[in-house]
Amino acid sequence: MKRWLVLILLASSGCAVVPQNRRAALADPIMSSFDEDSLEAHKKSKFYSTREAAAGGDGEPAGGGCGCQ
Amino acid sequence: MRARWALAVVVGLFACNQARADEPLSSDAIFGKPVPFSIESARLRFTHYDQEGHGFQSQAGPSPGLEQLTVEQPQLEVVAKQGKFTHRLWVPVDVITGASADAIDGWPPPDAITEASHTTEAASIDLTTTYQRDARTQLFFRGGFHIENPFRSWNLGVGGARSFADDNTVIAASLNQVFDWLDRFTITGVRLGRAERSSTNGNLSVTQLLSPSTVGYLGYGLTVQLGTLGNTWNVVPLSDGTLGDERLPGVRHRHSLVARLAQALPWRGAVKGFYRFYADNWGVLAHSIEVQLYQRLGPWFYLRANYRVHYQNGVAFFSTRASPDAELRSADSDLAPFTSQTIGILGAVDVPFARRIQNLHLDVGYERYFRTNDLRVSMYTCAVGFRF
Repeated sequence: MKRWLVLILLASSGCAVVPQNRRAALADPIMSSFDEDSLEAHKKSKFYSTREAAAGGDGEPAGGGCGCQ
Repeated sequence: MRARWALAVVVGLFACNQARADEPLSSDAIFGKPVPFSIESARLRFTHYDQEGHGFQSQAGPSPGLEQLTVEQPQLEVVAKQGKFTHRLWVPVDVITGASADAIDGWPPPDAITEASHTTEAASIDLTTTYQRDARTQLFFRGGFHIENPFRSWNLGVGGARSFADDNTVIAASLNQVFDWLDRFTITGVRLGRAERSSTNGNLSVTQLLSPSTVGYLGYGLTVQLGTLGNTWNVVPLSDGTLGDERLPGVRHRHSLVARLAQALPWRGAVKGFYRFYADNWGVLAHSIEVQLYQRLGPWFYLRANYRVHYQNGVAFFSTRASPDAELRSADSDLAPFTSQTIGILGAVDVPFARRIQNLHLDVGYERYFRTNDLRVSMYTCAVGFRF
């Protein structure tokens, strides 16, 4: 438990605050988020969740539709 | 004279007030002025899937049966803004040709499980409303309905996100509930009535700016499923040479841990890395790694290349020659041990406009999925979107 606490504190101390005026690189649509297109994200999650045993999580529930696992 | 005028003004004001009190209050007076509705964006994506391969769970042809199918998947998304509320209406449709329970309701009954040539249409409607409580806090509520020939599904979800340290850190949590109602069949196509399935899912995630060009994400999701967790018409080859039904546990606990990293590159590009660890109480352990490389070739145009590799060890009761007395058994190729790979490329154009349409988005892409237990899928996708 102590090890985890130390690890979390070390990790959080490494996260320096990035001011708004230094985020130009992050404003580009190719960087703006991990799944910039929610329809493409659904395409991907539906495809893998109906073909692989490892579905669920990632913000989407497993199950729902097509009677698959 | 002055006193008369004063009296007239007082009587007049009193009369006015009296008249106003008698008038019914308008809805504007009670609720305030209505907040105008404006469409923020509209997007349409179409994907075509072409799948070929074989699996022991399929009765289409000699064992292992065909898993050949095609899917046409149009999706429409409209996002509207209304003051502090943002509404997202999403309608995905799947038209699937392949082995399904579609024709089992008809006559002759077992067609759909012996020939991979029938069609299933599936459609969903999903509405997510997000409330911007303040500059740092968002709350959302979602609800949806899915309809398919032998299948109905309802889903509800709530969640929220709060940002800290000048938006450097965002913590999000969500809770989802899916309830499925499906027809139960024997492996020869006899309908046995209804079956149910419940999926409850909770997620917790942290997104963190790590530098002016780096974003990190860590998320954990837990899904608990209860009820009939298979499609009921999958078969299992038995050691006595016959075919038996699939037997799955009635409970499944699924854990997933996701780490993502996005790094902007100095030559107007970006690289994104994804790692996902998955474990469940059916004995599945899985690792998925994906890398996406973006490169801008102009102010409006970029290319994306992606590669994904997935390994899973399969469920503990997977067998292609199961005992007739086995309490649990499955020969579903999706639950088998395998390694899969996906390789893809996508080109996208974002054209800015100055007037009513602020931005036009177009993209076209291709992906190829292949895995070690005989399944290959080609995916063709294209999208058009407008931001107003």
